[in-house]
Amino acid sequence: MKTGSIVFAGLMLAVGLVYGTMALNMPRGSLAYPGPGLFPMAIGVFLVATALGCLLQEILPRRRSKDPEAASLAKQDTPAPEARDVTKTVQLTALMIAYIFLLKPLGFPLAICAFLVLAIRIFGYRKWLPTLAMAAVIAVISYVSFVVWLKVALPLGILEEVLG
Amino acid sequence: MDLFSGLIHGFSVALTPMNLLFGFLGAVIGTIVGILPGLGPLGAMALLLSLTYGFDPTAGMILFAGIYFGAMYGGSTTSILLNIPGEAASVITVIEGYQMARRGRAGAALAVAAVGSFVAGTISLIGLSFLAPTLAMAALKFGPAEYLAVALVGLVIMSRLTGGNLLKSLLMIALGLALGTVGMETVAGYMRYTFHQPLLAQGIDFLPVAMGLFGISEVLVTAEQTMGKVQLQKVRFRELWPTFVEWKRSFWPMIRGSFIGFFVGLIPGPSPVISTMVSYSVERKLDKHGEFGKGAIEGVAGPEAANNASVGAAYVPLMALGIPFTPAMAVVMAVLLIHGINPGPLLMTEKPDLFWGVIASMYIGNFMLLVFNLPLVGVFANIIRTPLYLLMPIVLVLCLVGVYSVNNSMLDIWLMIGFGLLGYLLRRLKYDLAPLVLALVLGPMMERSFREAMMISRGDLSVFLNRPISGTILAVGAIVLVAPVLIAWIKPLFKRKPAAAA
Repeated sequence: MKTGSIVFAGLMLAVGLVYGTMALNMPRGSLAYPGPGLFPMAIGVFLVATALGCLLQEILPRRRSKDPEAASLAKQDTPAPEARDVTKTVQLTALMIAYIFLLKPLGFPLAICAFLVLAIRIFGYRKWLPTLAMAAVIAVISYVSFVVWLKVALPLGILEEVLG
Repeated sequence: MDLFSGLIHGFSVALTPMNLLFGFLGAVIGTIVGILPGLGPLGAMALLLSLTYGFDPTAGMILFAGIYFGAMYGGSTTSILLNIPGEAASVITVIEGYQMARRGRAGAALAVAAVGSFVAGTISLIGLSFLAPTLAMAALKFGPAEYLAVALVGLVIMSRLTGGNLLKSLLMIALGLALGTVGMETVAGYMRYTFHQPLLAQGIDFLPVAMGLFGISEVLVTAEQTMGKVQLQKVRFRELWPTFVEWKRSFWPMIRGSFIGFFVGLIPGPSPVISTMVSYSVERKLDKHGEFGKGAIEGVAGPEAANNASVGAAYVPLMALGIPFTPAMAVVMAVLLIHGINPGPLLMTEKPDLFWGVIASMYIGNFMLLVFNLPLVGVFANIIRTPLYLLMPIVLVLCLVGVYSVNNSMLDIWLMIGFGLLGYLLRRLKYDLAPLVLALVLGPMMERSFREAMMISRGDLSVFLNRPISGTILAVGAIVLVAPVLIAWIKPLFKRKPAAAA
């Protein structure tokens, strides 16, 4: 996780620098009449400072580890890094993005139904028939509650003529 | 309107069939999400935020109050029966509650938790009813300097209390403030950080941020955890009644927990969680039976009272000043903002129906929760059997449809997914989300206050320190920020002295 923390702090540092530079190009005004750039400039400094602090904190060795006994104790305390499986996170994110792209052409009812079938499978349920049934039921309920009842203007896509 | 006529007026609002229904719905939803691990009151409120757009704001506030209180009741159920805390504020209850269940006193633990929650809820509501109007009256004298001081110090205290790394919390505040500056700036209409996207001109909407950070990211984190099959203990109705000794031992912990919860709840930060920890350690110190760790009923009664009391207290700064001090309150405030209502000290006088109606509905909701939580606890506990493969996709669907429904905007869906991934990443890297959300919500208000204060004082920065209220608040903030560092510095000096003398 350590590399991740360093990368993230570095990224925040970059964001802070870009953010601060952009603030420099905004009208600053004076203290008596602060312009739109003054507050962002202060935030930019704060962002760079805290990101730098986090970065150094990750890179520099901990003071504790000088004491060998304490270091070994600390090692015992922290559980072994779990081998986390990020596959599901990647799959779910891809699925959500696919949903955005399919929403207009396919229409909400079909897109959400397809989304549900795949989401249920990603969460580890493997039987096809119940999956299809559950997805269909939830899709119908969400269609009735959001489109019919709450009148959300969701695209109906290829079902436009049937439902509209 | 004084307190009593205000409350009577509030009950006349809260007792209309529609508002009663919303209170009831909130209580049921709250209890359910309290029981379900992986979905807390915050996530549920974020999910339902888009729906409140269609309701009257009072009804939306009543719904959310029911959810927040209900989750505190529901959270204890699985802590006691299954050794699984339903949400963060019930983690402490697991320690003694599950031990009681193993000794066959699960019923008594559940009953004491429910009654304690009710007592604490009522005490904190009385506190809210008195304190919120008083504070609102005092806040009428607040100028921009005071508002800036309150918000700034609130963020500082929060970053101190979230328990994690201070630098990481401060970085989250900086990021939140930076995100808050996106969009058209209000004084001169200048476009900031919009990258020529007209849709970003209104700023980053709170709705996709909340749904992403608390809805999507929660699902992504849960997706990676594997949950074993749960073994549910059966509780018979007649076992629910605690013995006389158990009642006697729970009485003072409940009262102490209520007051601890209320006062901790007024402080910015994850107050429901902290209040349970404070209450638990107090009860442990006062323990006369030596039963702590083996199922001491005091360890259930105190913390369960404390978390409910902190909920009532969390509403005080929001209702009186219009400043949310917890992420949950930021979501509650969004209900008002969606309807164009800016909460502040004038809320009580300008919208008495809403102000008093919501407070009165909390009394009713609290009573409802007690009535149906006690007999139905066995039924509710079964909710935990809901399979994740069904629950999590439904949560995602609610996010995907809900976020779109408010503005009919695809950008909002993208933003929500983006913040969902950010929230997932931050959770994995052990960053706290609360300072980020609060800074995002408070940032624009802080900038406006700063600029107004500067214009009034003609650029004199000392205005923040010279005005008595803002000066005092800022001094408290400075002490909170510096004190732990100083103490850590001084402590070894004192420790070394006796050693040197010897």
